[in-house]
Formats: sequence, C-alpha cells, structure tokens
Amino acid sequence: MKRFIFRYGAMAASAITMLAAEAGAQERLPLLVPITGALALEGQSQRDGALLALEEARQPAARLQYPVYDTGSNPQIAVQAFERAIGESPKPRAMMGPIDGNSMLALLPLAEREQVALLAVSGTARLTELGNKHIFRFFPSDAVVKAAQARYIVEELKRKKVAVVYQNTAYGQSGQEQLAIWFERLGASVAYRNSVPVTTKELSGVIAQVRESGADVVALQLHSGSSALFVGQAARAGLNLPIVGGSALHQPSTAALLEPGELKGVCAETASAPAADENPEIAAFARAFRQRFKAEPDAFALATYDAVTALFQTWQSGRPVSESLAAARIKGLAMTYRSDGKGNMAHDAIIVCYDGAGRTPRIAKRYSRPHEDARAPAERR
Amino acid sequence: MSDRAQSGRERIAALGAAPIWLPAAAAVGLLGAAAGAYELRLLAIAGCYALAVLGYQFIFGRVGALSLAQGAFFGLGAYASALLALKLGWDFVRSFPAAIALALVLAAIVGGTVLRLASHYFALATLAVAELSRIVVVEWVSLTGGGNGLPNVPGLVLLDWTVPRGWPVTVFVWGWVAVGTLLAANYSSSLYGDGARLLRAEPLAAAAAGIDQAARRMSAFLLSAAFAAAGGALYVHTLGVVSPEALQFDVMVLILCMTVIGGRNAVAGALVGALLLVHLPEWFRAFERWALLAYGAGLLLAVIAAPEGIAGAVEALWRRWLGAPPVPPQRPAAPAALAPATLPYAEDRAILAAQALGIAFGGNRALSGVTFFLRPGEILGLIGPNGSGKTTLLNLLSGFHRPDSGQIFLDGRNLTALAGWQRARAGIARSFQHGALAADLTALDNVAVAANGAVPCARVADLFRLPVGDAKRRRARAAALSALAAAGAIKIAGKLGTDLSAAERRRVELARALAAAPKVILLDEPAAGLSDAEKAALRAALREVAARGIGIIVVDHGMPFLMPLASRVLCLDAGHIIAAGTPAEVAADPHVRRAYLGTGAAA
Amino acid sequence: MSWAQIAIDGLALGAAYALVALGFVLILNAAGAVNFAQGDLVMAGGFAAIVFVGLLPLDGIAVPGLVLAPLVALAGGGAGWLIAEVAYRPLRHRPPVAVFISTIAVGIMLQHGANGIFGAAERRTPPLVAGEALEIAGLTVSPQTLAIVAAAALVILLLHQLLERTQLGRRLRAAAQDAEMARALGIPVRRLTALAFALGAGLAALAGLLLANVYFVTPTAGLAFMLKAYIAVTIGGWGSLRGAVIGAFLVAMFEVVAGRLYSASLADALLYVALLVALLLRPAGLFGEAAGRRA
Repeated sequence: MKRFIFRYGAMAASAITMLAAEAGAQERLPLLVPITGALALEGQSQRDGALLALEEARQPAARLQYPVYDTGSNPQIAVQAFERAIGESPKPRAMMGPIDGNSMLALLPLAEREQVALLAVSGTARLTELGNKHIFRFFPSDAVVKAAQARYIVEELKRKKVAVVYQNTAYGQSGQEQLAIWFERLGASVAYRNSVPVTTKELSGVIAQVRESGADVVALQLHSGSSALFVGQAARAGLNLPIVGGSALHQPSTAALLEPGELKGVCAETASAPAADENPEIAAFARAFRQRFKAEPDAFALATYDAVTALFQTWQSGRPVSESLAAARIKGLAMTYRSDGKGNMAHDAIIVCYDGAGRTPRIAKRYSRPHEDARAPAERR
Repeated sequence: MSDRAQSGRERIAALGAAPIWLPAAAAVGLLGAAAGAYELRLLAIAGCYALAVLGYQFIFGRVGALSLAQGAFFGLGAYASALLALKLGWDFVRSFPAAIALALVLAAIVGGTVLRLASHYFALATLAVAELSRIVVVEWVSLTGGGNGLPNVPGLVLLDWTVPRGWPVTVFVWGWVAVGTLLAANYSSSLYGDGARLLRAEPLAAAAAGIDQAARRMSAFLLSAAFAAAGGALYVHTLGVVSPEALQFDVMVLILCMTVIGGRNAVAGALVGALLLVHLPEWFRAFERWALLAYGAGLLLAVIAAPEGIAGAVEALWRRWLGAPPVPPQRPAAPAALAPATLPYAEDRAILAAQALGIAFGGNRALSGVTFFLRPGEILGLIGPNGSGKTTLLNLLSGFHRPDSGQIFLDGRNLTALAGWQRARAGIARSFQHGALAADLTALDNVAVAANGAVPCARVADLFRLPVGDAKRRRARAAALSALAAAGAIKIAGKLGTDLSAAERRRVELARALAAAPKVILLDEPAAGLSDAEKAALRAALREVAARGIGIIVVDHGMPFLMPLASRVLCLDAGHIIAAGTPAEVAADPHVRRAYLGTGAAA
Repeated sequence: MSWAQIAIDGLALGAAYALVALGFVLILNAAGAVNFAQGDLVMAGGFAAIVFVGLLPLDGIAVPGLVLAPLVALAGGGAGWLIAEVAYRPLRHRPPVAVFISTIAVGIMLQHGANGIFGAAERRTPPLVAGEALEIAGLTVSPQTLAIVAAAALVILLLHQLLERTQLGRRLRAAAQDAEMARALGIPVRRLTALAFALGAGLAALAGLLLANVYFVTPTAGLAFMLKAYIAVTIGGWGSLRGAVIGAFLVAMFEVVAGRLYSASLADALLYVALLVALLLRPAGLFGEAAGRRA
C-alpha cells in the first residue's frame, strides 16, 4: 500500500503542484460518464476509478477541478455535456469520455474542433479508425479482446464449434463481428448465433437451441444482467459446455448474481481483473477502491484510474496533451500503455476463469497484443 | 372590426397563451445575447423536439387519440435523412422532404390499419409499431449500422453550403419551428381545427354535423408523422451521429410529457413544453447523481400545478382578465340561402320512412318492428316511458348504430348502409339531450362547423391559409349566422360553449342542425330544463323551421310540450310502437296510459 | 429440452407478470387512469427486498420469503398510498392524461432514486424458498418456480375473494364504477381509491420480490415490466381482472415459446407482430371490454 501511494501519489502530486505553480489558475478535468441509462453500471465504475485517482493525487494546494457530467448513455446528452464542460472556464485540456461507443462517436468531431484530448475506455473498434488525433483509448479495443477470447477458445480450450450469443446493442453487435472474424481466422466454425435483447429474461429457448446446434463451447458477448441470466440458467439446465464471455463476466457485480457452482467452467476476457489480481500494486488499488466506494473494482475502474494517472504524467511534460500522450510509454497498473499512432493505448488482454469454489476468478492466461499475429503463440508478459 | 383584422386576431389567439409571446421573445433575445455554444445547442435540440410536439398536438391534442408512435416517427425521420445523406450523398434540401415523405407513407399504412381501433387499443397498436421499427433498425445492421449506428452524419448541407454551427444552426432550426407553428396555428383557427375540437368534445355530435371522423383522424395522424419526421431530420444533422437511442421509447415519453406540460391544445404549449423539458434536467445537473430524481420531482410539480398545461393555465388567466371575445359582425345571409330545395312535395310523399326497424343490444331487444313515416314540413312527436327506446330510435335514424333488421329511406334514398356522418351529409341533422357543443368554441363556430361542405382539397388549403380555405370559412360563418338567426340565437353567437345556459345550448344545437341545410331534423328532448316561456319560444321557432319544408321529429317525455306543436305523435313502449295518431288521440289511448302509469291504472 | 420444460419456465414468468398486470388493472379501474409507474414499482419492490435483507438477520431461515413477502408487499402498499395522495388525488378531476404524466414522473423518481442509492448494478434477492432444483417426471423444477406460482396463485385467490366476497371489495368496485354515486351512498371514495393504489402497488412490489431472485433487478428494469403489463391488460380486455391474468400468461408463454423457436430478438419482434394481428382481428381484446368501463 505504501509503495503504491509513494509511486503514484508522489508522481501525481508533483505533477499537480507543478501544474498549479506554472498555470497559476485552476485546471479542469471534466468526467463525462454515463451515470444513468443502459451503460450506467460501467459509467459509474468509470467515475469511481477516475475519482480514486484524482482524490489520491490531490494536494490541499492543488486547484484541480474534476466535475462529473452525466452523459445518460445517449449521444444527445453526451454532446450537451461536452458543450457545457467545454464552455465553463478554465477550458479543459483533456476530458474523460463516456464508455458507450455511440456517445464517443458523437464527441469525436467536437474534440477535434476544440482541440481537447478525450480519454476513452470504450471498446468500439471504430473509434480509432476515423483518423481523430484526440482520442486516447486506455482500454483494449474489441479487436484486441475478441482476439484474446477467440484464441483462448480455439488454442487453449481446443474447441472448434462455437455458439455465439450476443446482445442486440452496440456492444454486442460490434463484439460479435470481431469474434466472427477471429473464429474464421483461427479455423473454428460458428455453429450458432443468437441476438438477445437486454429485456429478455427467459433464456431457456436460447440454451435449448445452443444444445441442439451441437456446439462444443459458448462465446458470450452480453451485458452483465444477460450474462448472469445465461450462465445461471445454463447451469441449472445442465448445458455443461465451457462458456467464455465478454468483460461483463469478469465484473464482480455479475459474479455476485451467481452461485459459485454455477460459475464453474466460465471464463471471461477483460483488460484486467483488479478484484482478483494478486499483483501487489493492483491488490493495493483494489483495497483502496473498496475502502472508498464500498464496492469491488472492475477493469473499467482500473482502466480509468490508469488513464487519469497517465494524464497526470503527461501534464508534467508541458507539451500539449494530445502530443505527449501520442508519444508516451506509460506503465500503468493493468498494463503498459503506448499509442499505436491511432489512439489505441492498450494492447493486452487477459482471460480469467472461475473454478467453482468461489466468486473470485483467477487469471488463466495473459495475452500481449493477441490481435497482431494469429499464427504465433501469444507471449507471456 | 374588419374581416382581415378579425382573422388576424384569431390567428394570433390560435397560437394560444397570447401573453406568453412578447415577454418570451424578450427573454430569448436577452438570453441569446449571452448564449454560448452550450445554450445554443440546447435551443437547437429544443427546437427539434418542438416540431415533434407541434405534430403530436394534431393527433393527441386535437383529435384526442393517444398515439405512441410519435417518437418512432421522430427517430425514423432522423434515420431517413441521415441514411440518404450518408449512402446517397443527398444534401438536406433533398433529404429533408424525403424524410417527411417517408414518414407520411409509413403513417398512411399504419394509420389505415390501426386508426379505427378504440383509444387504448390504438395506443397499444402504435406502441407495437414503434417497438417493431426500433427492432428492425437495430437488427438491419448492413443498412443502419445496427446498435452502433452511423457516425459522421453531415451537418445541415444546403446545396453546397453547410449551415455553420452555433447561431446559424439554431436559427435555421427555429426557422422551421416558426413555419410549423404558423401551419399549426392556421389549422387550429380554421374550420377544420374547429371541427376537430367538436370531434374531441362530442364525437357523436360531430358525426351528426357531417364530420367524417375517420378521415379527420387520418389527416391528423399524417400531419403528426410529418412534423415528427421533420424534427428528427433536423435533430440528426445537428447531432452528427445517427443511432438507435433516437428510437427508444424514452423519446416518446419525453414528447408526451412536453405536450402535456406545455399544453396540448395551445400551439404555444408545444414550444413551452419542449424548451422547458430540454432545459429542466440541465438545470438540475448540479445535483449530480440525483439530477434526474429532481427532474422527476419537477415534472410532478409541473403537472400538478398546471394540469391543463402551462399554456392552458396562462390562457385561462388571460381570458379571465380580458373577458369574453367580442361578437363577430352581424351579416346574416338571405334566408333563401338556408332553405333546402323547396320542391313541391305531394302531401303523402314521405321525406323520411322507416320500415320494420329492429335492434338488440346483448340480450336486450331495444327496438322491434318500428315502422313509420314523416312528411316534409311535418312535426312528429315521439314519446314513451324511460327505456322505451326513443333515443335508440334516434340513434338508428342518425346512423350511430346499424339496425339488425329494417330499412331507412330519406327522400326515397336507402340510407341503411351509411355511417353517421354520411347520413348527416345526406340531410339528417340531430340534436342531443345534453346539448352537445364544444366548450371552447363560440356558438358561431359550433354552428359553422356543420355548415362546412365537403371539399377534399380544402384541408391543405386551410393549412396554408390559401384564399380558398378562408373563403370557405367566411361562407360557413355566414351560413351559421343565418342559422342562428332562424333558431332565434343570434344574440349569443359570440358566447363560448361553456358560458351558454341550457336553453341557449338547445337553440345553438337547433341552429347547428339547420346550418347543414337538412331535410330532416331529429331533436332529442329539446324542451328539457326550459321555462314555460322558453318552451313557447322554442315551439314557435320549430314551427318556422317546419314551415320551410323540413321534417322534424321531436322526442319528449310527455305530452304538454308536444300537444300544441306536433301534427302526429308516436308512442313507444319496450321497443314497440303502441300508439300513433294526433296528439289528442294518443293522449287518450289506454295503451299509452298503461305504459306510463303501469298496469292496474284506470283506463 | 422438452416443451413441458419450456412451459414450466414460462409459468413462473407468467405468474409474476400476472401480479403486475393485476395491480395495473386495479388502479386503472379505481382511478380511471393508467399508472405508468407500475413497472418501476416492480423494480422498487425488488430493491425494497434487498434493503430488508440487509436489515434483517435472515440467514438461518429456511423460507426467507415468508418474512420478506409481507414486508415487501406492505412497503409497496405504502408507496401506492403515497402515490394516490400525491400524484393522483390532486389531478382526479382532470383529464386522465394528467395522471398519466404524474405517474410517469413518479416512475422517473423511483428509477433515479434507486440508481442514486443502489447504483446501476444488477442485484439479486434471496429466493422465497431456499433449496436445490427438484426432478419431477423428468423435468427440472426449482423450488423458486413453484414458490412463485404458488405465491401468485394465492395472492390472486385472496384478491378475488376480497373483491367479490367482502364488503370492502364491493365498496371498492362501487367506488370504481361511479364515484359520485358511491360518495352519495356514504362510501369513502378517497380512502378506497388510495386503497386500490396501495393494493396495485403492493402487487407490483411482490412481483418484484419474486422476479428479482430469478431475473435480477436493476433501476432501469421498470419499463420492460410496464410494457408487458400494458400488453397483457390490453389483449385481455381493458379493465378486466380475469383478462389481465390470462393476458399475462399468454404474453409469458409467447415469449418462451417464440424464444425457443426463433432468435431472441425475433421473438421480441414477433410479440409485437402478434399483438398487432390480435388487435386487428379482435379490436376489443380477447375477452371484450369489462362492462361499463370508462376509457
């Protein structure tokens, strides 16, 4: 814990004091996150991770403001929040952007217009394909995590007939696309595909169809609620197939909905698993998070934490934020962040698995840049 | 006051909540001076929603039908315009009307199918359509981008020029809002707007006045869809992305709240509602995670404080302060314009004939074997104890129910298959027991609605206030004045429906019946609640009407009113005609006495 | 997985929907207005259960539901009473759409109150009856499913008895049919309307407790339940209590069966298609309007 505070707290603190000294005025880091709406769970996680980083780094003399703006999981509200944030003085040099891809897409042109850096934790691949120089994504994109998910299924679990169950939302559809690409590359076949609305509660039909399809593994790309519903109902129906899901299944709030026995044989891709990671620095982060928010941290919280800390470091350099972030190589808690020129800072992913004894998973495999070479085996970090 | 000034004043009054405009415009001007990108953005968004709300007032406010598809039309308009711009490279000049046209087509299909459903079924059907369109858009990934939508939607591109963001965009959007507002105000103060008010207040009376409810609902539905799509198209080009959030049910809920909070019958209400509900959550942003909780509380307070809407509340205050509007100028047309074709009828030729009419409701046989005829210029009384079927007979004659058996002939023409409004146009007019008038229309306008002839294109002309539409209105009002004169009600022509006494309402209803140049008038207990003097005056008026060759059937409880009035009387009991003859004969008939007084009474 | 198994899965869902729909109709008949907060009251019931679980020592109890159910129902009833007094009573002489908006506002407050207090994560309530799934005739039935169906059946039965057999029920129905006449007869209309709201909300809250164990609860869950109740009540015949229950089961069964045959999204769409077809074929609902109901 002490090392943790020393390393990051000191760095951030010095950054802030230097900032305050040189700027002589307040600095603002608006946090545009969805507190309400469909992505509120992840948005609240984002907020909490950012707040932890900001509060730890805060010195009494520092005059850093970090107002929270609700983007409502809706691009219209997100844009309104942006205009409001940018209009209040002092004008911010960087902002934390919302996790939902649609809102981020709406904000990109505005970030360009105002020359403001947007820190992102949204996985939607398209965000970095539009040539925008102001987005910095501190969470591995769909391309990365879906590669990890697909590779784990094919290379580690040795399964070839996949049933893909995905949400009919932005998250589900874009993830499903990436999964399809990777399964093809890896020589696996998608035996079954089903698009599930968030409001569907009874998934027995889906489970029966999966069984009938003859698939030998299930890949999920669902939000937290639907993931838990599927895993629980599949366990009770005796489906007995390994399940490898999206990041929702690593979230402690999802695991809390299930019995440990139901989680046996379930794995998830994620950028990090702070509640389960034994790495001392990450564990210290988790303890601090629990104490502050009385809740378990997830990968989104940690990614936002890392993003804010990275921002502090680049502020130290004195160059414009976008430039310094583009050139920086930052060792964060979850992984090392480095821009690929398009704004993707995170390129690693992990797979966590539940062993059936408890609700905390263990890290089963780490992937570094899993999307860059499908043939070569993944290197261990 | 000159006619043009009169109609101008009416147009302004039709905008509703007159006192809001001037101070609001001042406030907006002041705010505008200080407006930054954020405020301008909010104003632009509010403008887009305002258009959707203006449209919603047509179907929900004026017709009173709860359509739950308004949000869907908004979102579909957004998608249509965005897709045309992204996939085909169309600029806003082309994609805007295309989006509206698409919405109109869709609304025509949907409306044609579901508009005939009764209130909550209609609501559910429109909800189903809305949810279906959302699901289709989300699943059709190749076209719409699915859940992720499509980015980089171009701004408002007019030919080669893009409307610059900030002030120009906001002004552009509100320019369209102004256009929409004018159209809506024109419609509202037109003959069709008045007809819609009557339709909402008294649907049966509206049918009796010749208003085709189905056609009116359809045109309102089409208008609502067109306005919503316009708002959606403007919305998507100011936002820059198109995604399924625009089709979620939350948008519908928001439009509904804006309409009700603003005031669903006042055009100004649409603007007030949209501006308020876009800004309200922003004002509470300081509460952070409790912001929307506060917004909900604000919404609750707003609807409790002003249940008729803010514009409605302001208007009520204004009216209380100003008093009733002035009586319009009196220019009755020549009586000849009002009389029906006074062809010489043979004495024994019936203008109205009923043969063996019968109808049952559930297991209850309300009428059976009713046969009678009415001569032109004759006043026929219809009496009978409670529950004998008098009103049911009138309902059958005026077309509100189809008879199970029997036929109805008007001037030789078989009407049995025609609907209520069609019979009204054929020449059957009718009044109602409770005096079915629209409370928020003047007596004159209540009557003018019925004087309207059936000109198909007039609706469009009305919207644009072309001379054709306005001339029709003037003619209708002139005819209405004559009718009011004939009914002895010219002095109360300017009074609002709510302010009329019972006797006055009867007169106005009689005038409305006359205004349609009918061949037959059916009066349901016209004398109830009148003093003796008023009854005598009514009798005189009816005699005058009959003298023009119009056949009249008067329903009444007992004989006193009918004795000196009717030339013949029918008595109904338990759905059968038990006596027919002169008033004296029927009064002395033992069957009649038994029916009224029960068995065991002295004959 | 056999069709019988599918049917059982749909049964619990239908039972819970039935409670929600019943509550909706009760309020509809009593107040003549649509209670748009009905779905959010279901959500609130789920969260109320979570609060009670946090406050009470329930670990040792085999049937925690016996303690939770009445508590949650009472809490819901209290909320319903409050809604009647605050959101309905001031507007009772106004056009019904005003109550529509006020209940929408209440729903928004419930949703965002829950979001602020509990956060957006999905939560689960403890089961009514703890225990492993049973195997009956080759079908897997969890005790919770049985408990839900039993609880719903019991409540519906009690409600039926209340409305049809007791004087309170008769007065309720009288007040609902003609408030003026009822008042003239000395019936305390105001109190009875509030009672109807309390009953309706209590039913919703109870449904929330039942549903939240199997299907979890989150602040945004209300709208889906609202829509399902609205659909159930409309196809069952607007204002009919029996129709609401049957409609609810029909909706649930349709969901499960369509979900078994088609993709889940398609099943969702098909429900609306089926609804449209049903409305066009039988515009007055499957059982027609309840006699004498206002719109």
